This record gives sequence, structure tokens and C-alpha cells, in this order.
Amino acid sequence: MPVLTRTCAIVLIASAGLLPCPVTAVDRTLQGPSFEDNRLLIRVVPRTPEQIAAFYEARGFPPAALERIRQTCFVTVFIKNKGNDVLWLDLDHWSFSRDGEPLALLDDEFWQTQWDAIGLRQASRSTFGWTRLPRVRDLQHDEPVGGNVAFPGTTRALEVEAVFQTGADRKGAPVRLGLGRVPCMKSTAQP
Amino acid sequence: MTRGIQSLLLLALTAAAPALELPPGVMPVGDRLAPALQLDDLDGNAYDLAENGGHWRFVHFWASWCGPCRREMPGIQRIIPLVEHTGIEFVLVNTAETEDEVFSFLGIVAPDLVPLMDHDGLVTELWQPRGLPATFLVDPGGHIRYQALGGRSWEQPAYLEFLRALPGPATARSAGNK
Repeated sequence: MPVLTRTCAIVLIASAGLLPCPVTAVDRTLQGPSFEDNRLLIRVVPRTPEQIAAFYEARGFPPAALERIRQTCFVTVFIKNKGNDVLWLDLDHWSFSRDGEPLALLDDEFWQTQWDAIGLRQASRSTFGWTRLPRVRDLQHDEPVGGNVAFPGTTRALEVEAVFQTGADRKGAPVRLGLGRVPCMKSTAQP
Repeated sequence: MTRGIQSLLLLALTAAAPALELPPGVMPVGDRLAPALQLDDLDGNAYDLAENGGHWRFVHFWASWCGPCRREMPGIQRIIPLVEHTGIEFVLVNTAETEDEVFSFLGIVAPDLVPLMDHDGLVTELWQPRGLPATFLVDPGGHIRYQALGGRSWEQPAYLEFLRALPGPATARSAGNK
């Protein structure tokens, strides 16, 4: 059941200055931040290692791939451009940190190396690729995008700031969202 | 030579058509030649997009694990008879799944559809969709003219009217549907 919590947990900052903190409806079952205004909707859903491994196991991923997947922190991000202007998803403009230290997401090169090492079949590589959040996307009016983002480690929370450039030429006022702490879900498996 | 004349006629037909009113989420795509698409369908029949010109193609990429794809697929099955008279060919491409996965899914939600099987996902990558599901509308001359962003209910009047208004010869032909 949606409940109103975390007022200002997500802070909207426009380039022109700090705007009033929105009251954001957060669904407790999601255990991750979400934000919506007349320009965009963003929802971040942390996944447990078991959840994410079960998804790929059901798609025929081999144990060696599942083991690598379990060793990382997965969050699923859903974004929709509700405005009329182009909204740029560009993960290179987002910042991620853990305990105050900058943190890099696990990128294409990382996963390519992992899959080469275990000889993952092409079909699984393709499926894995389509389930990841695109690194760059010029979101058009009403266009949704979603997918997984992965980070090293599996338990400690992340700090995420999302920055969206706007306009077809990326020269519009950027939208900055401090998403606060995004948990890396702990394993639910019994020891 | 004959093929060249046909291509010119098709190009003229398409170019002379009045601008279509685009429904929400449908974008024009400049003048991009459709990439190669040669695959076998779920029943093992070979298909080549390049050999099936002369009419519009609704090329749709999907996977059963994708939520919007699951919601969209029954509607696609339902619109096929509604636009049959236009000659639009529905080319459904499953991305990187097995026959068992596809059969299990479609048997429940859209049993009349017979998709092409992109087993390794490489054909899908050639087409560079913005995500799954993805729909491209390929004109009779083999160029991608429109793409639909994400999933939608194709049964809504705006989409049906758009599909029915696509210009060009109505050469009836179907693939991807029985």
C-alpha cells in the first residue's frame, strides 16, 4: 500500500536553484526511492541476490554466470519522460558513491570480461544486455525505459544522484535528483 | 531492371503520400534501410524480409520475460484481422529465447502467432531497437519509416487509423500469423 514517507528523501534541484522538496509517495514494498512530477517518473527497486539470480536461472543461465551475478548489487531502475521536451538518460552524468567514496557501476566491459571468462552463450549475453538499463537514451515524450544497473558488492547502500540533461541538443535546464540511499539488498538465503 | 522500376514506383507512392498524423509514441525514422532479417519461424519455415517487399511490414521484437511485451502481445494478435485488408505483414521476432519458452508463453496469451526465432539475439541487435518491446514499420520499398517507443495497446482507434492510413500498395501477405 503506498504511503507518504520520506518527505525530501528525494530532493529536486533545478539548475536555477533549489526548489521546494516534493512530497513523494513511496511504496514500502519497493524499499527503494521513487519520484514523480510533471516532467518525469523514476523508480528504483533494489533486488536481492536470490531474486536477480532466479530471474536469470529461469532463462537458462549457467551456474557460473549466476555466481557472478550474485556477487554484485543489482537495482532495477524505471524512468518515464512525462514532459514534452527530450529527457536525456546518460549514466555518465549520474554519480554513485558508497560511504562517501565514488563508486563506478559495472559497465559493458566488465560484463563482457565476465562472460568471456566462462564462455557464456550468445543468447544469454543478449538477454542480459536487454535487461540492463541503457547507458544513454534520448527519452521522447511519454517514452519509458527500464533495466538493471549493477555495482560491486552486495550489502552496503549506495548514494545516487541522477542528472538528466534536457532538450534535443542537451542544452536545456538539467534536472538533478538526489535519490538518497539506495540499499543493496542482503541475501535472504538461510545459512 | 523490373525490380528497379518497382522500387521507383514504390518510392514515388510513399513520397507522394500526405503526412500521417502520428499517434502517441510513434516516431518517424528518417530514411533508414531496414537491416537484414533472415530467420526461421517457430515452425521451422525460413523467412527473409528482403524477399517480402511490396507492402508495409510491422516488425516487432519481443521477449517473454519482458512485462510490456507480455501485455502488448494479445493486442497485436487481435489487430491482425482488423487491418488485414491493408496488406500489412506482421513480422514478430522473438529475441534470444528457446522454442519451449516461446511456445509456453504464446500458447497462453496469443496462440495464433508464429514468431520468427532470433535464437542468439544478433538480428535484434542489428535493428538497434530502443528496448523491448520494439516495433518498426517498414515501407514497401524496404525502409524503416516509423518506430513505436515501448509497448502500447494497438487496438486503440488512433493506432488502428494510423496503420490503416499507411500509404502504398495493398498486396496482401502475412507472416508471423496463421
